[in-house]
Amino acid sequence: MIRFENVTKAYKGGTVALREVSLEIDKGEFVFLVGPSGSGKTTCLRLLLREETPDSGNIWVAGREVGHLSHWRIPYLRRNVGCVFQDFRLLPNKTVFENIAFALEVIGRPRHVIATQVPQVLDLVGLAKKRDNLPGELSGGEQQRVAVARAFVNRPLVLLADEPTGNLDPATSQGIMRLLDRINRTGTTVIVATHDQGIVDQMRRRVIELDQGNLVRDQARGLYGYGTATAEQPSSRAAE
Amino acid sequence: MSLSVDYIARETASNLWRNRLITFAAVLTVAVSLSLVGAAMLLRQGVANATVQWQHGVDVIVWFDPAANGAPQPVQHAIAHELLALPYVRSCIYRSQSFDLAEAHRILAADEAQALTTGTTPASERCALNNPNEAQAIWQQFRGQPGVQSVFYPGQAIRNMEDVTHVLQWVFLVVAVVLLVSASVLIVNTIRLAIFARRREVAVMKLVGATNWFIRVPFMFEGLAQGLMGAVLAAIAVLALHWRLDVLASANRQSVWHQMRMSTPDVVVTTLAVLAVGVLVGSLGSTLAIRRFLTTDRISA
Repeated sequence: MIRFENVTKAYKGGTVALREVSLEIDKGEFVFLVGPSGSGKTTCLRLLLREETPDSGNIWVAGREVGHLSHWRIPYLRRNVGCVFQDFRLLPNKTVFENIAFALEVIGRPRHVIATQVPQVLDLVGLAKKRDNLPGELSGGEQQRVAVARAFVNRPLVLLADEPTGNLDPATSQGIMRLLDRINRTGTTVIVATHDQGIVDQMRRRVIELDQGNLVRDQARGLYGYGTATAEQPSSRAAE
Repeated sequence: MSLSVDYIARETASNLWRNRLITFAAVLTVAVSLSLVGAAMLLRQGVANATVQWQHGVDVIVWFDPAANGAPQPVQHAIAHELLALPYVRSCIYRSQSFDLAEAHRILAADEAQALTTGTTPASERCALNNPNEAQAIWQQFRGQPGVQSVFYPGQAIRNMEDVTHVLQWVFLVVAVVLLVSASVLIVNTIRLAIFARRREVAVMKLVGATNWFIRVPFMFEGLAQGLMGAVLAAIAVLALHWRLDVLASANRQSVWHQMRMSTPDVVVTTLAVLAVGVLVGSLGSTLAIRRFLTTDRISA
């Protein structure tokens, strides 16, 4: 589903975000991307969304090399890669329903499809009763659920989450992770970049750890623990 | 990607309303500048019409001395022969005193024409030239000649007027171009503000995979709408100006406005040109703003 081949990315000023990173993520996997601030987690997600291009190496998403994708194809890539952020990024003047519907409307889905799919995804995230509320009237956890619903309503192949629990308390964070887990069980590949040790340790899913742009650990059913590389490295070529 | 008319109309109207003050300024600037362009075009057409009317194909008029009226016709015949013998004279026609008096009554105001009688009105020889620029040579040759009161070539007066209107046209056009550039800059700024006001929505659109066209088209139509609204106001101003000139022309058939009277096709062409320039300015402004301020790869708001 996703493959990084010797990917290097440096920003202006010489900061190297990723160095020769190679990894592979299969369809339907749930992966935690961990590491300290500045380790390259967000850069990985931005490369997958084609917000950035690699300086060298190749990135493959669903069989398509995205690093050299032409500009007009980028929107079509993003329809297959949903994304959730720490700050939710909801539109404050639109209701919950409208926020989710907006994601379908702007890619040209007909009204009857919107009328069918939005209630379904609202049921999935448990916000059917709050469909007419504005984001400002919701709790942080509920707003993040709306953001997840918006990212998932188009049924993307991959769902990226950049610090999705960064603004939430531990109990609410667990609720969001259960939601992402449920989405993952529908066959969607989920990649979560996080600093939240609690949820990583609790869920025991594959963990990829970055440090100063280097891939330092790729562990199935891993724990958070910075720099505690273990022998269990099921799928990473970088770990070979 | 389907782009519904409903969506474009809704988003464009919403953008225009959000930035209504600066939209108003942009529309007004487009309207003023295009009104000047329209006025310049009407002026040019009017002068062309007046020129045709004034000349009537006559390039030079030799007025015979009325004091010599009734005096030997041979003098006048000799002058006529002399004129026709010139290589650059194509044809001449003799106008009697009574004809010229009738013409004077037609052209001049009633109180001015009242003083004229057949006895005081000169007869004339009116000539068309192969080259109207030679009119001055005739003027030099025949003025002061016995039997000749004066030599008049309307080409000179027309050229004077054309020179004046030419300068006026250029002044109008330069001011109009400066204002049009200002209008374009205002439109660029309006679109920039609209993009800034909707940056969250634009970021979400990019995030969920809206195509560049889907994101850009409402902004493009916003600029287009501003240009068109300004152009419509300018077109109304042009039509009002034409109507006013028409009223003036009808009030006094001898006035310069009557001579400059424009036909309906002239006015239609001017109005269409004003509308086309308005749309062009609006499209240009929004295209520049979009190219400069709406990058589509980055998602960040």
